[in-house]
Amino acid sequence: MRVPLSWLREFVDVQLRPEQLADALTLRGLEVRGLERWGGNWGKMVVGELLEVSPHPRADRLQLTKVRIGKDQVLEVVCGARNIAAGQRVPVALVGALMPDGRLIERAEKMGVASEGMLCSGAELDATDDGDGILILDAKAPLGTPISDYLGEDVIDVDVKPNRGDLLSLLGLAREVGAITGSPVKYNARKIAEGSSEVGDGLKLTVADPALAPRVVLRVVDGVTVAAAPDAIQMRLKAAGLRSISNVVDATNYIMLELGKPTHAFDRAGVGSGIQIRLAKAKEQLETLDHVQRTLDASDLVVADERAALALAGVMGGASSEVSATTKSVVIESAVFAPTTIRRSAQRHSLRSEASHRFERGQELDLAPLAADQVAALITTWAGGTVRRGQLDSDPKAVGQTRELAFRPERVRRLIGVNVPDAEQTKLLAGIAISVTEAKGATSVPVTSKRTVSAAKGESLVAVVPPWRRDLELEADIAEEVARLYGYDRITPTLPGRDLPGYLPQPTALRDQVRASLAAQGLSEAVTHALVSPALSDRHAEPVGLVTGLLAEREGAAASEALLLSNPLSADHDQLRRSLLPSLLDRAEANLRYGALSGALFEIGRGYGGTKGGPTEWTRLGVIVWGEIASAAPGGAPRLWDLDELKRLIASVASLCNATPRYLPLEAGDATLLHPGRSARATGEGIAGLIGELHPAAPEWRPSPRILMAELALHGLSSGQPAVRRVLLPPGTPPIQRDVALAAPAGVLIGDLVALAKESVKSALSVELFDLFAGGGMAPGERSVGLRFTFQPDAAAALDDAITAEVDAFTASAAKRHGTKVRGAEAQ
Amino acid sequence: MELAALEKQLRTLQTESIAKIGAAETSAALDDLGSSLLGKRGALTDLLRGIGALSAEDRPKIGAIANEVRAAIDAALSDRRGAAGAAELSALIAAESADPTAPGPLPQVGSLHPISETIGAIARIMASFGFTVAEGQEVEDDVTNFQLLNIPEDHPSRDLWDTLYLREPGRLLRTHTSPGQIRTMRAVQPPIRVILPGRCFRYEAVDASHGFEFHQVEGLLVDRGTTLADLKGILDELARGLFGPSTRTRFRPGYYPFTEPSVAVDVSWGGAKDGWMTILGAGMVHPIVLENGGIDPETHQGFAFGLGVERIAMLRHEIPDLRAFLENDLRMLRGLR
Repeated sequence: MRVPLSWLREFVDVQLRPEQLADALTLRGLEVRGLERWGGNWGKMVVGELLEVSPHPRADRLQLTKVRIGKDQVLEVVCGARNIAAGQRVPVALVGALMPDGRLIERAEKMGVASEGMLCSGAELDATDDGDGILILDAKAPLGTPISDYLGEDVIDVDVKPNRGDLLSLLGLAREVGAITGSPVKYNARKIAEGSSEVGDGLKLTVADPALAPRVVLRVVDGVTVAAAPDAIQMRLKAAGLRSISNVVDATNYIMLELGKPTHAFDRAGVGSGIQIRLAKAKEQLETLDHVQRTLDASDLVVADERAALALAGVMGGASSEVSATTKSVVIESAVFAPTTIRRSAQRHSLRSEASHRFERGQELDLAPLAADQVAALITTWAGGTVRRGQLDSDPKAVGQTRELAFRPERVRRLIGVNVPDAEQTKLLAGIAISVTEAKGATSVPVTSKRTVSAAKGESLVAVVPPWRRDLELEADIAEEVARLYGYDRITPTLPGRDLPGYLPQPTALRDQVRASLAAQGLSEAVTHALVSPALSDRHAEPVGLVTGLLAEREGAAASEALLLSNPLSADHDQLRRSLLPSLLDRAEANLRYGALSGALFEIGRGYGGTKGGPTEWTRLGVIVWGEIASAAPGGAPRLWDLDELKRLIASVASLCNATPRYLPLEAGDATLLHPGRSARATGEGIAGLIGELHPAAPEWRPSPRILMAELALHGLSSGQPAVRRVLLPPGTPPIQRDVALAAPAGVLIGDLVALAKESVKSALSVELFDLFAGGGMAPGERSVGLRFTFQPDAAAALDDAITAEVDAFTASAAKRHGTKVRGAEAQ
Repeated sequence: MELAALEKQLRTLQTESIAKIGAAETSAALDDLGSSLLGKRGALTDLLRGIGALSAEDRPKIGAIANEVRAAIDAALSDRRGAAGAAELSALIAAESADPTAPGPLPQVGSLHPISETIGAIARIMASFGFTVAEGQEVEDDVTNFQLLNIPEDHPSRDLWDTLYLREPGRLLRTHTSPGQIRTMRAVQPPIRVILPGRCFRYEAVDASHGFEFHQVEGLLVDRGTTLADLKGILDELARGLFGPSTRTRFRPGYYPFTEPSVAVDVSWGGAKDGWMTILGAGMVHPIVLENGGIDPETHQGFAFGLGVERIAMLRHEIPDLRAFLENDLRMLRGLR
């Protein structure tokens, strides 16, 4: 809420400088978002006095003026406006002034006469809506004074929180200021002079459901002349952020800002013989003031006459009864509506107005008659006319009530941790019009909306809450008021030393190790969008499906579907990703565009899917790499990312997670994203996923650098702990290695041979593939596969025969199962 | 053979050997000389075969002479070896030397994303006060994300969170990490000290300081006697941990439906970056929220806070634009380490 300080000062004395006031409000919970000098952009514009106004010799539209802007300074200015006369004081833009619309004032010849500046209209200053005439200032405006000093205004912008609808008014803010400065708050209601005709003459008021409109008050003003509001009012509204419409409409807005009470003025000619407050009929039509034809819903509340809806209650008026230049008589409607009804209507019609904003936050019943009178008074002042006698009031007995709220001062102290004595709490609350009395007996203290506790006499005090503080309902609410009025800055910080919880494992411990390991191996962590486009998701639909399918088996999330948003911001982000790979590929592509010919990214993030049992989320590792692993030493060759290097990387991660990957061929239809001959399923204890090179048919593919990627589910990634390993002290003998070279016929998979070797040679610590080649005198398709077995015997040479037997058994079963032949064997 | 003749031969061998040794250039040549002169089938052994023809009294004499000769040759070998070895070592070093001033190839340096780096920093600071990490779900329901946090349907405070909804009625993407408060309280008995980091979503247009996906860290402490003064104490430490020991903090009233009293926390570093920057919202857990979490608000109380990870990271690392976080430009990611 924008608050012009001169206006605020009408209700409370403020001696503080604007900056001090802003700080003081902020420290008491009324956050000041901005402090601005409205009109501060009126540089090189001063108050001048017209000494002479004479006709231009060569142009009928123009006049020549002499303007005094200081003791001995007189300027000659050519002016096109007609409303000027000698003796008036006017704003003068000097040569070099920059107008709010960006125009620079220069010395100019106008039809042969030099002009040394410009007399300004209200519109040219962006101060009023009047662009036809010069803004005529008060005759006592001090000559030569900068216009920004004379007409400018200090404005503070207060961020009013949703629970404090009472602060959406100058009066409400004045109460808070008064609590800070100790100054009294005054509201001098304007007196109205009523005429002889009765308000009820020809006008009736009916409220269909008082629950939806607890109080409705009508006033009628006859004989008005609709025109622009006075310049000072227009400027004040503009400084407060509202547009000036007309004297009648401005009167309603002025009172809305003053009291926080929205009202509406109808053209009497557009209203029949009665005003009804009722729910709309289904499909009922209403053209609102913004000239949009609206189809109403049966839960919209309307202000209607006997024929049709006239306004969407609390939200916006209707075009058929809009106040216009021809309006002679107006009906002022000042009502309190049910907040939820107004909020839903405003949401349904996407019509959030200053009025609905205030109605949603609740309204004080007493303001209905008061605001009706104040608007009527302003209308007669600004637009003339006579106020009809009396108000039509749906329920004069519906008045604001104070409420009693019991609280325990000891509980307040226990919550804020400072010893604020009862008397001080009482005094602080009195500052914001909450009187505190002793409890006469046991009280019922509201702790939550469902629960009260009984406090014995002497344990509690009773706060008498004024009607505008609808937000104060519980004991904790009073505690907050005491704390904020006491000042958070006065609370001495302490550290809670007792009540420590017992040990709980950090669920990110293993994940953080994986992150650190990958970063240490040269990969950069990425965080990509969880919300993706259908294109991003669909283009890679099959591998995505495969990844989710393959991994889902382990995660109990089989057959998940993409989760779609009902109100996406854009089609680019309308569903939750299931796989990390499309987003990572997108980011790799972007980095290649930025010139990163080598790169390595990883992300540990969630995938999301819908299942019959509801939405599920899972945690995955995504990796994408391209180009060089590390740059070459001078004169050397760089290491490039390829499937083996990717497997080396995955082995390092798998070992942290205690997982042992095996690689299986992709199956038919597995991967449109992945190169069918350079990709694999990764599977095994604690690991599942896909790894491989980008398919040559993918749009991102290029001959160099090649892009490789992996998406893996790893045991413990979501909440696992690093494994504690058994440490074996090695015996004093060196390990023994046995190398076996097998000739494997075409079609035999190395993964199968290694698996068989591990299974057959159980006493080996490890089985490694140390050599692999084809050609060199071998049959076409045949490959030489070198396997190295490592053993750690307890005593040297003792197991030689046993090892030989195991290795021989392996070569025999390999020969039998896969048709391999032994090419050589060597012991080391 | 006579003693004199044998002695002469030995002396001759000594002289000739020392001359040969002196002429040898390499360690390998000296090794060869060593074995041809002093080895099992060397020249000295050859000469001494004639010792059998000597008389018993001459034998010791010739033995002593032979030992002198052997020692002399040995000494000559050893001297010469030292000299040749030193020369060879110098030659080897000279041959293997390269220009050591070349800068050396650089490693491919990896990095953590500023978001996880920041979450990690917060987690380490909070761990020193006994807070462990817990993680909630990102696809939430209206009840947990709003209603149980004292944000009823149709309440104007809902305007504080523009929400992305799933097609399934009642499901939404969590707008904050606060529903984790409810889930934690329902899962764990007090005393509770947890932080809940994670991704959040809002229906919000993207600009330099807003995004529809962002990260928060929620903190929750519930026990029997923790006060607003304790909240100030802990959050002071967090601010100093994140921004340095000279960081100043300002606590002022804020508004959140799930805390009462509510607090907004600003920090200031002084100097060039003067002025208050709001870094987080906090407050004493609302009794209705405690009740909804299954905790008796008459016996237990505590505080909660929530902060925007991107905002903290932007302040800590002087990142000017929030959009950079999801861009994942390697030039930026590698710059942070």
